[in-house]
Amino acid sequence: MTGTIPVRVREITALAPTLKRFAFEPAHGGAFPTAPAGGHVMLTLRDGARVMKNAYSLVSPPGARGRYEIIVRKVAQSRGGSAFLHAHVAAGDVLEMAPPVSLFPLAATARKHVLIAGGIGITPMLSFLAELQARGARFELHHLSSPEEVPVFERLLAPYAVDADIRVHGGGRAAFDLAGLLSRQPLGSHVYTCGPHSLMDAVGTTALALGWPRGSVHKESFGAAAGGLPFKAVLTRSGMEVMVGENQTLLEAIEAAGVAARCLCRGGACGECVTRVEEGEVDHRDDFLSDAEKAAGALIMPCVSRARGPRLVLDL
Amino acid sequence: MSDQGIKSRPAYGKITGDPAARHALLVVEGAGLPDELMAEGVDPSAFETWTVAHASTVPGAPVMDEAAGAVRPFRSARQLFSALEERLARETMGLRLCAAGTEPFLWDVFNIGAVAGLTRQEMQFAQMGPQARRIFCVHCRTVSEGITASIVTCAGCGASLFVRDHFSKRLAAFMAVQIDAEVPGEVPPSEEIYR
Amino acid sequence: MTVQFKPAETFRDTFTYKKSPEDILRFPFPFPEDEYMYSVNIEPHVKGGATPAFQAVFDIDEHYVGECRERERVLKEDPKRCQVLPHMMAAQWDTLELIMESLAADYPAHFTLSKAGDVWTWVNRPLGLHQTFTFGKPETLPCTPFEYITRQVQGDFTLQDQREDNLFVDGGMVTTQADWSLEFNIGMSFHEWHGPVPGVAHDRGVFDRALKYLLRLQYGQPVRRLNWTMTINPRLDTSPENYPVWGPDRTTVTADNVAEKVHLRVELQTLFRLPRSNAILFGIRCYLTSVSDIARVPKWRRRLHRVLRDLHPDLAEYKGMTRYRPLVVAHLAALDDGAPTSRGIAPDTDRLDG
Repeated sequence: MTGTIPVRVREITALAPTLKRFAFEPAHGGAFPTAPAGGHVMLTLRDGARVMKNAYSLVSPPGARGRYEIIVRKVAQSRGGSAFLHAHVAAGDVLEMAPPVSLFPLAATARKHVLIAGGIGITPMLSFLAELQARGARFELHHLSSPEEVPVFERLLAPYAVDADIRVHGGGRAAFDLAGLLSRQPLGSHVYTCGPHSLMDAVGTTALALGWPRGSVHKESFGAAAGGLPFKAVLTRSGMEVMVGENQTLLEAIEAAGVAARCLCRGGACGECVTRVEEGEVDHRDDFLSDAEKAAGALIMPCVSRARGPRLVLDL
Repeated sequence: MSDQGIKSRPAYGKITGDPAARHALLVVEGAGLPDELMAEGVDPSAFETWTVAHASTVPGAPVMDEAAGAVRPFRSARQLFSALEERLARETMGLRLCAAGTEPFLWDVFNIGAVAGLTRQEMQFAQMGPQARRIFCVHCRTVSEGITASIVTCAGCGASLFVRDHFSKRLAAFMAVQIDAEVPGEVPPSEEIYR
Repeated sequence: MTVQFKPAETFRDTFTYKKSPEDILRFPFPFPEDEYMYSVNIEPHVKGGATPAFQAVFDIDEHYVGECRERERVLKEDPKRCQVLPHMMAAQWDTLELIMESLAADYPAHFTLSKAGDVWTWVNRPLGLHQTFTFGKPETLPCTPFEYITRQVQGDFTLQDQREDNLFVDGGMVTTQADWSLEFNIGMSFHEWHGPVPGVAHDRGVFDRALKYLLRLQYGQPVRRLNWTMTINPRLDTSPENYPVWGPDRTTVTADNVAEKVHLRVELQTLFRLPRSNAILFGIRCYLTSVSDIARVPKWRRRLHRVLRDLHPDLAEYKGMTRYRPLVVAHLAALDDGAPTSRGIAPDTDRLDG
């Protein structure tokens, strides 16, 4: 995993009973990297011995380098990170943040962008709006909200609403004519959706049923976790055992133990780190080995692949 | 036909249509329907079809049904392209554009579709007719049509050009490069291979 | 870093290009082993590594002024060597930001970027440029943002848009290329623009794997690789457009002039994911070193001999070396004592022979 950057909480704004906006600045001064449009950051939150990692979309415009902003909803059944942010994090606190990545980009060739968000799913759209307006791109945004939060989202969207087709719908899903909206879009439109899975699924299913090509339908994703369950790797030639943590690659664990392993791309493509497996089952995640080699299970690419069980024995 | 092993040269299949399409428009560089280019089980009446009659006597098109099964003839490919641009500009998502014709015709259609916002997934191409090539002289940018030989003289700069299999969809043309650039005059015999 | 720039050198006609001893030693020699075959030789583009050429995000060397002047000349002759498709405007600004910030951070003695909100001021001392403009407003620059900044960096650049699980080369500044045409290739997908590369690379799955890897390329984690070919004379513009101009050079190599005429042409290729556009900026930084300069490093002359001697014939043909390869191999054979070489590209010396 790449390193984290320390960030200081600059300001916390309560937007609604369960919504807070957090503004961060680099703890050691300077500027943040330009935020990707639709990008997200990973916060590491430590509640005593408990460590939580939560991904949040950046809502600040890409060009705002002095300050990153996120909006967090406190949800009863959350894994704890969001509840922790609401209850325990105060202005001035320093947190660890992984630099932003983008898995929800805008389509450069789109003739028109249709944004459909539900509830807290508005967050990546706020980043899109700033970028789309900077580009002078054609777009429309529809936000589905509970009736009582309509004014909250209208206030959030107000800075982008001048001369723009932005609507907040508080009348429930049934009153929102999704099929009508998607069937009147010109050729070259792209639709982006973020919100409850039921909404994102409805957008995807409706668009495909209307003949939209798959590549023009975009759903927010924070990506599959790069890590996995921890396991033990036994290195027979080095006579060592290393523990591979859940947020660490096998290659990183081997390097941390001081064993010089050959590697190049660190992304499962070049084949440089290929290693013989003597025992254990492999969870193959690379693009280098053939399907037959993967099925045989005698080789592993430690830069991306892991053990499927508790233990791997490697000729290393 | 020779194969220079260059992977940018397009491969073509048959028109299969797309069950997910809201509407499908098939443009044909010829007067008739390309039955032999339809995949098995695909019904030509599922498409709104535009054809090229190559005839000035084709009447100016009356108001047409934009419906599956309708067939609209055009006098020339150019006239069809012009109507296609206007049509696509007012189309909505869910359209599929299919084309059957010679390679330059297909990629001209592709470029009209791309300008209108169609992606490669929303278009389908089937090749028919002569294999003659449109070529682009990389030295002087002259485009020549109907090339059937492996080596030709450029109409623009006079160079002896070798026709490579390297294909640009944007130019709808193959690349042509001077064959005797290193030793002027050293030109191998030309062969008629693109027919 | 501070660089001592040479006064403008020429890369055509008079060919006054010459390398200082330091410049020879910082050449990114492309062969980590005594044999060469296509592979996905991509690694993270982090500072450090086997050659000083890896010390900066965008490497600047003593030929900077001359190479920028040569680019200016090529663009005057053929403005279409710089083209960007209209949907890539966000990527143009991303490129300008990345290059300006990187040059200012890596070479503060030569480049300065200051910002007052969206109003930026750029100072390029080696080229004597001072420009105030508004970020995001193309009309405040003398040309498009991509052209503006890539006129001020060594090496070619292309912009790749990512869509439909593919990459499309939808823009570029291409004046120092190894025989490929931007005008012809612009708009092509990844496999299309690599179409002319010999089948042996495709058969090895090199492009399938490289594409999958690049589709996942993450913002803030650029990668690099070295590629190579050979060029007669230190000529930067070996474009297909001008093949009738430089093609005859290939017939001028003799046993007497082979060491001076024939140059190893290395491309330090870098790939960056860009933030606003999600496009990929591809840098193709070209380094030219004559066989005679390479021969002054014992490890490099042994290895270059062995690589060229054993090169797959399809690769030699694709790289246009068929006419003169035997002369280069014969010249280097006499200088190869057969001693083993160490793995990696480092010169293993800080002094030149001869």
